[in-house]
Amino acid sequence: MTSPLTRKDISRRDFLRLSAAAAGAAVFVGPASALPAFAESGAADEAAINALPATLFDVSRCIGCRSCEEACVATHNLNPTADDDGKLTANRYTYIAEVPLESRPRWVQKQCMHCLEPACVGACTVGALHVTPEGIITIDKDKCFGCRYCQYACPFSVPAYDWADPFGLIHKCDFCLERQRAGETVACVAACPTGALHFGTRAEMLKMAHNRIKANPRHYVDHVYGEFEVGGTRRLYISDVPMSMLGLRDLPHDSVPHKTHVVMSKTPVIAASVAGIATAIYGFLGRKNEKVAIEVEESQS
Amino acid sequence: MTTTTIGQRSRSAARTVLTELDGTMVVLFLLMSAGVFAGVWRLFSGLGASTNLNNGYAWGLWIGFDFTMIAFSGAGFTMAFVGHVLGLKRFHSAMRIGVLTGLLGYVGVLVLLVLDLGRWDRFYSFIINWNIHSPLFEICFCVLLYSMVLVFENLPQLLAGIGKHKLAHAIHKAIMPIVILGVTLSSLHQSTLGTLYLAMPHRLHAFWYTPLLPVLFFASSIMVGLSVALLGYLIASKIRRMPVDGKVVKGLALGAGWTGLLYAAMKIGDVIASGEIAAILTNTRMANLWKAEMLLGVIIPIALMLIPQLRRNRKAVVTGASLFAVGVLFNRFNATLFAQQSPSGYNYTASSLEWVSTIGVLAGVALAWYLAVKYLPILQEKHGH
Repeated sequence: MTSPLTRKDISRRDFLRLSAAAAGAAVFVGPASALPAFAESGAADEAAINALPATLFDVSRCIGCRSCEEACVATHNLNPTADDDGKLTANRYTYIAEVPLESRPRWVQKQCMHCLEPACVGACTVGALHVTPEGIITIDKDKCFGCRYCQYACPFSVPAYDWADPFGLIHKCDFCLERQRAGETVACVAACPTGALHFGTRAEMLKMAHNRIKANPRHYVDHVYGEFEVGGTRRLYISDVPMSMLGLRDLPHDSVPHKTHVVMSKTPVIAASVAGIATAIYGFLGRKNEKVAIEVEESQS
Repeated sequence: MTTTTIGQRSRSAARTVLTELDGTMVVLFLLMSAGVFAGVWRLFSGLGASTNLNNGYAWGLWIGFDFTMIAFSGAGFTMAFVGHVLGLKRFHSAMRIGVLTGLLGYVGVLVLLVLDLGRWDRFYSFIINWNIHSPLFEICFCVLLYSMVLVFENLPQLLAGIGKHKLAHAIHKAIMPIVILGVTLSSLHQSTLGTLYLAMPHRLHAFWYTPLLPVLFFASSIMVGLSVALLGYLIASKIRRMPVDGKVVKGLALGAGWTGLLYAAMKIGDVIASGEIAAILTNTRMANLWKAEMLLGVIIPIALMLIPQLRRNRKAVVTGASLFAVGVLFNRFNATLFAQQSPSGYNYTASSLEWVSTIGVLAGVALAWYLAVKYLPILQEKHGH
């Protein structure tokens, strides 16, 4: 993949860019100083994160039966057609992607990754995408106005717009919020007949993932996908083939919303600086220029 | 003396518009009408039925033109800064052209944004539902407030045009705080349009993705804002058969040129610092897009604006300003569309409805601009005195 993010030296590149920014853009004091060094990323409460609901998907155990797809459709009353096959749409919140490989095909479940630092929540213009008290990322359908910025902010291209609806909005997996509130397990996990899909707290799922890898290191690739990607997700994967072969993107470990937040949090400072500088320029220069112009006008008339 | 001519002009304005119908107006009106039909059809048929947008390319032609038009409408805040904050009276005719262009540009932006919104019937959602962390929330809010500022900045000309000179003069006297507010709101959302793309490190190609994006968007909006004001001033002078002030042309050309030079230094310095320059010098699609954008839309116009022997030629200045506009159009479309690495399996080419509605909006803006320049006291040396 040629994505800029696959490179390991991203923080060094950013650092160099910031040096260039400081040198080249000293004039634009506000915005330039609003771009901080890369290091500090939000260290959230570890215990709270460990207790969040999560899933583990074991690629080596999936047989591609698509029971999870059907369970999801039934639970959310979706109406998928052939057009919705093999992708995330307003009528399909999860699907099984088939990956043809030499040894044997593999199947990977795709759905909202329920990031620990959700880019969609940071991007959502109207705060429709939000994190519930249970720690689930879902959409307030009364707020969403269909601007589709979340579709660009999501590193996994998950949010789907309802193109068929004349008044469409965004749809995605809600981690079976209502079932979870009723104390039930997630529909896709409950439907899985092979034990490829598990549900529990994030700590439990990580433990299970690492135990399986440790117990069978020749079988598994030593990588729990989602443990660190974009700051960590709540849908975790282990596999017997490299993640990159499965369409699980190689993503950096830093938080996406942090990248906009560092600038957005400076908004009041930028606003005050611009207003202050403009007022000062008018006070010292503008008024004098105006006076000169009026004198010239009067001397001419 | 000026006053009475304006008064008479305004009284017969409605009749004059009808009797002076010329080819330009007819063509613009027809294009605008086609756009209205296309737009209304889209509003009730939905985005799936009327556009080629999809989950891989959720933003297309409309958003590309939105972001381009916001940058072009930078003519408003840059010229208000030159005319009012710097107090350069000589630039006041060009400034009135700038704030007029800004206002009409933002009206066009708002129309295209409503067409683009899924729940357009709920366009006001961002006014009730705040997400202060979202760049797009800030942009929406600033555009809304700044449009009101632009209405206010255009009021003196409009009021003078309908003969209310005392009111026009009163507003003109109290304009400074509004101007400062407008400059502030513009600086915020012009740069935040760059911040918007900071949320897409996984999608926007590395040649364009940089933490400098907010600064680059802000600088380019000044560069193109002054260029658009310059072009508008020259075209308006032609329409009104009024003399062009060479010093105003020179001043705006220098302003655009020097801002362009700063912008180019940051753009090129950025890819040198990140080490991407080596990849840019190779012959790939993305590298060629980047080089074309920079050469055609930034470097050549900088030369035309800043080399005195070239700048003395009016045609060179017009070409330079036009190329800056092309460069910013190119840049915003690269960021929105061409340099976006969309998930595989998706393609996008704008539908005919997207084209007809976009051209309709642009024609509507041009028609309103043409009428305002023709019938309002915008190019006058003085007004309301």
